[in-house]
Amino acid sequence: MEKIIKKALIIDLAKKTSEVKSFGDLRNFVGGIGVGLKLYEMYKSKDPIIFSVGPLNGFFPFASKTSVILSDEGVIEDLYVGGNLSLRIKFTGVDSIVICDKSREDVTLDITNTTVSFKPAETDLHSLGLPGKRSLLNFTGKEFLVQDYFSTPENFLEMAARNKKVAGISITGTEVLKPQNFATYEKLYHEILKKRSELRVEEGIYPSCSNCPMGCGKSKVGEIGGNVLIHSLVACHYADKIYSDIGVVFSCLNVLGYDYTHEDLENLPKLIEETLRNIS
Amino acid sequence: MAKTLKPVRCEKCNGCELCVLEAQRQLEKVGLEESLIRIFTKKDPDAEYPQFSPNLDPRVNSIDIEKIKNICPKDVFETEEE
Repeated sequence: MEKIIKKALIIDLAKKTSEVKSFGDLRNFVGGIGVGLKLYEMYKSKDPIIFSVGPLNGFFPFASKTSVILSDEGVIEDLYVGGNLSLRIKFTGVDSIVICDKSREDVTLDITNTTVSFKPAETDLHSLGLPGKRSLLNFTGKEFLVQDYFSTPENFLEMAARNKKVAGISITGTEVLKPQNFATYEKLYHEILKKRSELRVEEGIYPSCSNCPMGCGKSKVGEIGGNVLIHSLVACHYADKIYSDIGVVFSCLNVLGYDYTHEDLENLPKLIEETLRNIS
Repeated sequence: MAKTLKPVRCEKCNGCELCVLEAQRQLEKVGLEESLIRIFTKKDPDAEYPQFSPNLDPRVNSIDIEKIKNICPKDVFETEEE
């Protein structure tokens, strides 16, 4: 039952309130862009920015991105950011963080698991959260960066954050998860990690996303649009050869206790298309 | 003689946290809480990239440290005889 329900942390900037909501009807949207778009549809009137992870984030290599859904002057954009953010959101225990409405004054959000504190904008971001277990999203005035490095394409996130008067976000996740069949999970983890030669990026000397050894030069700028299965999981776009293999995807989902069927995954693009049509 | 894990090439750490997650898996956990390794991130204002530093709990030496050394893509760790 637990795996069927999706959970979202809903933050209202205007009222300075937050709550965790459970959604029993979002199972078929899997995660990432799927769940993010459906939540966007539900909270559209509050002009949300939605950060979402998928079922594989935190658990498997190369499932290392975070989906960001927002509206840019009425056009829905799906962006993907790297760094350590996806692990922290996963370990907060929610699938998505939905930031609604607009603050009256510039604000910094301090999120630990599902507890949200609204701090003055001038708060030193590095004084918030727990080092080693937090991800910092810092608005530099020009860019909105994860770990002072990882960005998203086209400045859409910067514009949306500026519009909402969000100066920075600290996200700390301390939940611990335990796949039931740990030995099988661990074996599968190492099998996937060995597939690094199948990635479409070269190993580099740059900062790496969490749970990806590559340190490639591509992760800095993030991603926009693309394959909906990859972005629902939410895996790296450059690991599409690995996570387009439906056998690998099912092995991962099954060992984590998800009961998705082939039909569920085949229907996902249609569901996303329908949701997009409803929003537009 | 007992072996200990030492981060000897910290400047090469890329922040991937594979070591953190390996240490947790050895304790049959997935998460960051009570991990025996943490990666701290710091960025100097003038630097182009953030710097990462692995922080080890001495209890890490009670788990399989060879596996941790070997999973690091940047060869940050060495195991040394005490």
